[in-house]
Amino acid sequence: MYMKRKVKRSWHAAVAAVVILTILTFTPAIIPYGQYRPELLGIPYTLWTGILVGMAIVGLTIYGSTVCPGSKKWEESR
Amino acid sequence: MITWFIIFAVIYVGLLVFASVKSYSRNRTADEFMLANKSITSILGFLTYSAALFSAFTFMGMPDFFRNHGVGAWIFLAVSDAVMVFLILWFGYNLRSQAKRYGFKGIAGLMMSCFKNKWAGYALFASAFIFLVPYVAIQIRGISIFLDATLPGSLPSWGWSTIIVVFMLIYSEIGGLKAIVYSDAIQGLILLTVIWLIGTTCIGYEGGVASLFNGVEAVNSKLLSTPGPNGLFDRQFLITSLIAVILIPVTQPHFTIRIAVMKSLRSMHRMAIGVGVFALLIILPTAFIGMYGAINYTNAATADFLSNALLFDQADSIAALAIIGLFAAVLSTTNAQIFALGSELRSILKGKEKKVMFWARLGIFIFAIITLVFSTFMSDQLVLLARMSFTGTSMMAPVVIVGVLSKEAPGKELFIVSFTALILFLISLFNVIPGEYNGFLIESILYIVLAITTGLSLLIRKTKLQQST
Repeated sequence: MYMKRKVKRSWHAAVAAVVILTILTFTPAIIPYGQYRPELLGIPYTLWTGILVGMAIVGLTIYGSTVCPGSKKWEESR
Repeated sequence: MITWFIIFAVIYVGLLVFASVKSYSRNRTADEFMLANKSITSILGFLTYSAALFSAFTFMGMPDFFRNHGVGAWIFLAVSDAVMVFLILWFGYNLRSQAKRYGFKGIAGLMMSCFKNKWAGYALFASAFIFLVPYVAIQIRGISIFLDATLPGSLPSWGWSTIIVVFMLIYSEIGGLKAIVYSDAIQGLILLTVIWLIGTTCIGYEGGVASLFNGVEAVNSKLLSTPGPNGLFDRQFLITSLIAVILIPVTQPHFTIRIAVMKSLRSMHRMAIGVGVFALLIILPTAFIGMYGAINYTNAATADFLSNALLFDQADSIAALAIIGLFAAVLSTTNAQIFALGSELRSILKGKEKKVMFWARLGIFIFAIITLVFSTFMSDQLVLLARMSFTGTSMMAPVVIVGVLSKEAPGKELFIVSFTALILFLISLFNVIPGEYNGFLIESILYIVLAITTGLSLLIRKTKLQQST
């Protein structure tokens, strides 16, 4: 029962993280109107933060695949 | 360049023939031909999904999009694609569970079973047909115009279009989905290799990444931020694009089929991860090519920019490989789409397997001819037409999502409202009704209406069910 709750909670946490990152993407935190500084290695702000967001979501997909419905952990906990 | 082109073309065609022959079997069943026996492994799965997803739209459209509208193009596609692959984890599980329950021949057929209503399947098939055919046609048109401009005097653009369609028909009719999957794997790898070769060359010409963006700043600093010089990437456009893109695996049948035919859930999870990594890797160099174009081909026409940046500014061997890569990119996406339409047709037909298969194969042939005809008069707005296709089919998302989640048959109001939304979006494209109301895009309004209707439909059904028990 504890295991089941833990796996479910982990999956919901991954979903919540993706939703938060997605919402954050459409705020001035990632797409500030008309601004391209600070740059990172010469890359404008929206592009480098966008790359980080993309990598983070793919990273969450890797994590999510271990706890999502149908994953090994999910099935074992049932 | 011609010598290199001939060498790569021979290798490429040889690999395609090998894929078709390897996949051919005289006594194969209909499921083996149309669904590759539902036994696609992780690596083949992610390559075929990626090759179907990243087409001429990526190779030609995205660099031009970055050049004209700036770095917001990354948010438009790469972030949306990343969210899409996460959605596959959840959607794929539910789709495969429902497919196990009812059997799977195509998403339209599956929805017929889920809704216990044939019109749900017909509506899905119609949506795929209406929005995929123009999308296939635009890609064929894009590559044929490009080849005509690049190799002048060789063939007219309709000649290149015909070659692509004939290629597509021959190897899909011989090898079925398995041949398409093998060739997609080849094409995905060619595309990734060649786009990085071109991207790094463009960076090299400008003296590094920082110099590249400094150069863009000098030409037009608005390209370095959103909403871009033309104001395209405002919040509403990016959010509606995100919705359309993340619903691709739900409503575009060639992707739904690829999720359903994976060997196991585990291989589907790996496929999703692979597509996510592939997406980031393949879109990044298109940003570099686009920025290079913004500096060197600021006011050039799309065809001039692409032929210079992708071919004439490259070494002969890379330019030759780029032509093959473009050809491969178009072929992999168009055959995936046309073949999926055949599978969908098969899934909604009833009767003896042999007869159904005859109609499905004939359907593939007819769809290919229709797209060939369409391709002769399409415009060259690759990315915007692709977005239109994603947005159009996404109107049917409530049908598929509720269908794969429900244990009882959902209400028919869902596919009636969804199909009405699709028709409204379609006629807005022809300016029969406005595409914008008080600053709100019609797709934004339709998404809100669909979300409310779906919620209400589920609530009413649940209440009725509780009352009856």
